[in-house]
Amino acid sequence: MISAFMLLFALGLLSLAFHRTPWFKPLVIGGLFVSMSLTLGGYELGLFGFSSNESIRLFELILEIVLMALVLHDDEDITITQTLFLGAASILLLQSDTILSFVIAFEAVSIISIVLVSYIKTADQAEGALKMFIAGSIATGILLLGVAFYVMGGGLLMEAVPSESSLFSTVGLFIMLAALFYKLTIVPMHGWAADTYALVRHSHAAILSGVAKTVVVVAAFKMFEPFIVAQVTLSVPLLVVLAVVTMTLGNFMALFQKRIAKILAYSSIAQAGYMLLAFAAVQSSYASTGLLYMAIAYIFMQSAVFLLLDTLRKHYDIVTLDDIGGLAKSNKLLSFLFSVQLLSLAGIPLLAGFLGKVVVFYAGVDAGLWYVVLIALLNSALSVGYYAWIIKHMYFDEATNSKTLFSNKMVLVAQFILLAGTLYFGLFASSVFDVGMAL
Amino acid sequence: MSAIYFIFGPILLAALLALFIKGESPLSKYIALVLFIGGFIFNINLFTALPQSGYLDLGSYLSVEQFDFVLTLQVDQLSVIMLLLTSVMLLFVTLTSWSMKNQAAYFNLLILFSGPIMGLFMSTNLLWFFIFWELTLVPMYFLVGIWGAEGRVYAAVKFFLYTHVASMLILLAFFLIYKESGTLDMTLVKESMLLSPVLIWWLLFIGFAVKMPVFPFHTWLPDAHVQAPGPISALLAGVLLKMGAYAMIRMVILMMPEYSAQFSWVILALGLITLFYAGFMALQETHLKKMVAYSSISHMGLVTIAISTLSFSGLSSALFEMVGHALIISPLFLIAGFLHQRTGSWQMADMGGLMQKAPYLSAIFVLSGLAALGLPGTMGFIGELSILISAIDVYGISLIVIALASMLGASYIIWTFRRVIYGEMGEQIAGSDFKMPKMEFIALVVFAALIILFGLMPSLLYEIINPAFSQFSSLGGAL
Repeated sequence: MISAFMLLFALGLLSLAFHRTPWFKPLVIGGLFVSMSLTLGGYELGLFGFSSNESIRLFELILEIVLMALVLHDDEDITITQTLFLGAASILLLQSDTILSFVIAFEAVSIISIVLVSYIKTADQAEGALKMFIAGSIATGILLLGVAFYVMGGGLLMEAVPSESSLFSTVGLFIMLAALFYKLTIVPMHGWAADTYALVRHSHAAILSGVAKTVVVVAAFKMFEPFIVAQVTLSVPLLVVLAVVTMTLGNFMALFQKRIAKILAYSSIAQAGYMLLAFAAVQSSYASTGLLYMAIAYIFMQSAVFLLLDTLRKHYDIVTLDDIGGLAKSNKLLSFLFSVQLLSLAGIPLLAGFLGKVVVFYAGVDAGLWYVVLIALLNSALSVGYYAWIIKHMYFDEATNSKTLFSNKMVLVAQFILLAGTLYFGLFASSVFDVGMAL
Repeated sequence: MSAIYFIFGPILLAALLALFIKGESPLSKYIALVLFIGGFIFNINLFTALPQSGYLDLGSYLSVEQFDFVLTLQVDQLSVIMLLLTSVMLLFVTLTSWSMKNQAAYFNLLILFSGPIMGLFMSTNLLWFFIFWELTLVPMYFLVGIWGAEGRVYAAVKFFLYTHVASMLILLAFFLIYKESGTLDMTLVKESMLLSPVLIWWLLFIGFAVKMPVFPFHTWLPDAHVQAPGPISALLAGVLLKMGAYAMIRMVILMMPEYSAQFSWVILALGLITLFYAGFMALQETHLKKMVAYSSISHMGLVTIAISTLSFSGLSSALFEMVGHALIISPLFLIAGFLHQRTGSWQMADMGGLMQKAPYLSAIFVLSGLAALGLPGTMGFIGELSILISAIDVYGISLIVIALASMLGASYIIWTFRRVIYGEMGEQIAGSDFKMPKMEFIALVVFAALIILFGLMPSLLYEIINPAFSQFSSLGGAL
C-alpha cells in the first residue's frame, strides 16, 4: 500500500490545510524525493486493476521529477494542491490495467485539471477555463457513451482491453479512443486546447499541456495498444489521417501567431500529431519505445517552455513576439534556457526532442508508413520556422524596453531540473530503450 | 588524446565560456586558436597513423544496441583529408576574424561549430552522422544572423530552414537504410541489401545536393554567402559546402555505386547546369560578393561533374577541386567582405582603382581570381584540367564544353578586375582606408602561397588524395 500514489495523495490532503505555511513547500520537495525512491524501489499500489512495469516506473519517476520542478516554480501556494492531486491521479492512470480503473483515473485527471484552471483572475483566464470545462465535459460524455457501447457488446469492465471483441464492443472502444483524443488535442478535437493553453495562466498551461497530456498519451497507448493492433486494417488508416492532419494544422496555425503562448499552444497540438504517429505505427516493435521516448522528451520541454513564459510574463510582461525582442541582450540566461528548450521541441540533435522524434519516426518507417514519416519530417522542418522565429526575436532584434536582471533562485532551479532532463535524454538513449519495449 | 574530446570537448567548452566570458573579452579568441591548432595537430597525427587501406578505429561510445545507435568513430583517407581541410579553414577563419566585434560570443560559436564538424567526418554511424550534420546548423544560424550584413536575419532563417528541410530527406533515407539492411554503420551497408534502393538514392542525392549546392537547390546560398561576414562566408564555402560533397561521395557514390552509375546522367546534367547557370549569373552580377558567391556555386558544379564520372581519376580530381575551391574562394570572400566593411558598398560600380590604394590586397585578390578562372600555375588550373580530362575520358569528347565554362569564368573575373582593382578610382575607394589587420593579412598570404604551391606541385596534394579512392579503382569494370 505504501507507494508514490499514497504519498502524493496524502501530501495533497495535507496541503488543503497547510499550503500557506512556509515549511510546506520543503516538505513537498522532500516528499517527492521519497516518492521517487518508492517508485525506484518498486513499491506498488497493490490494488486490483492497477499494475506497473519497468517502463511505467521510469515514466512515473520522470513525472515526479517534473512535478518537483512545477512545485519549485510556482510561488502561488494555491496551485500546489492541484499539482499534487494531479500527480497522484496521473500515477493511478498510468498504472491502471482494466477499463474501469482506466475510466475512473482518467476522470480524476480531467476533473483535477478543470479545478486547476478554475483559479481565475482575468476574463481571459475565465474564457480558457470555460472552454476546457465544456470540452472536458463533452469528452467525459463521449467516453461514457463508449463504455456503454462496450458493455452492451458484452465487454467486461474489470478486464483489460481485449484484442477480440464483438461489433458493439469494437465501436465502443473506438468511441472511447475519440474521447481520449479530446485530451490529446487531436484535430478535429483540438479547438479548446489552442485557446485554453494560451489563455489560462502559463504555469497551468505547463501542467495541462506538459504533464496531463503526456500522462494520458502514455496511459492510452498502454491500454489500447492490443485493440489497435487487432483492428489494424481500420485503425491504422484512421490514425494516419488524424496524425497527419493534426501535425500539419498545428504547425501551420503556429506559423501565423503573434502571441508566444498561442505559438506554444499550437506547437503542442502539432507534437500530439507526432505522438499519434506512434499509435499508427503500432505494428512496429519500436512504437512503444518511440512513444515513451517522445513522452519523456515532451514532458520536460513543454513544461519548461510554458514555465519560462510564465516567468517572462510575470517579470517582464512579455506576451507577443515583439515584446520578447532583444531579450538576449538583457537576460542571457533566460534566453539561453528558452532557446535550448525550443530547439529541443524543433528536434535539434543532442536534445531529447530529437531522439524522441527519431524513434517515433523510425517506428513509422518500420511499420511501412514511410510516406507518412516523410510528411511528419517535413512538418518537423516547418516547425523550425516558428521555433527559430522566437529565437530570432530574442537574439537578433533590438530590445524594445530595458529589462532588469532576473534572479529568482527557485524558478531557475526548476528550469535547470527540466534542462537536465532535456540534455540527459538527448544523449543517453539506452535508459529508455532498456525498458521501452515492454510498455 | 582520444578523438571524442575534440567532438564533445568544444561543445562543453563553448557552453562554459558562454557563461563566464562576455562582450569584447579576447580570451575566447585565444582559446579557439589553441583549440584549432590542437585539432590540426591531432588530425595530422591521424593522417600519419592511417593504415594502408580501410579504416582507423577511434573507438565507439554511447551504445544503444536495440537501435544500432552507437557513436562509432572511424576515419579513412577521405575523411582525414576533409578533417585536415576543416582544421586549416578553422584556423583561417580564426585569424581573419581577429578583430571581429562582440568577440566572446563570436568565438564561442566558432568553438561550438568545431566540435560537430569533427564528429561529422569521423562518425561512421549514420544517425550520429546526421546528428553532427544538423548540429553544425545552430552555430551557423547565429553567426550569420548576428554578425551578418543588412539582410542577415532573412538569410539566416532561410539558410536554417532550407538546409533543415533537406536534412529531413536524408534522415528518412537513413531510416529506410536501417530498416532494410539492419545496420546504421555506413561501412557495413551495401546497396545489394536494400529493398528500395532507388527511393533511397534519390532522397540522399537531393538531401546532399542542397548542401553542395546543385541547381535547382542552390537558392539559399547566395543569400547566406552575401549576408554572412567575410570569414563566415569562407567557412560556408570551405567547410559547409564540402560537407555536402563529402557526403555525396561517401554515401551516394561509394555506398551505392550501381545506382549512381544508373543515374550518373542526372548528376552530370545537374552539374553542367549548375556550372553554366551560376557562371552566367556571376557574369551579370554587379554586386561584388554575389559575384563571388555565384562563382563559388559554379565551381561546385565542376565538382558535381567530376563526381558523376564515378571513375578513380574523376573522384580524385573532385577532391582536389574541393580543396582548391576552399583555398581559392575563401580569400575572394574575405576581401569582398573587407571592401564592403570599409567602403560601405557592395556595388562594383562604386569601386575601381583599388590597386593604387591597396596593392598587396589587390594582388591577392587578383591571384585568387586568376586561380578561380583556371590560370596555369595555380591550383584552379590543375583542378579544372583534371576534371575536364576525366569527364572526357568517361563521357566522350562532347564534354569539352566544360572548357567553355572556363572562358565564362575568365570573362566575369577579368571584368571584375577591370571594375574593382583597375580602372578609374571610385569615390568610395578614394575615401576609405584599406589597412588590413596583420593577422588577417598573414592568413591571406598563406592561402595565396598554398594556391601557387599546389598549382606548381599538384603531386603534393594528389599523393594524399589518391589513396582515398584506391579501393574504388579496384572495383574495376564499368566503374
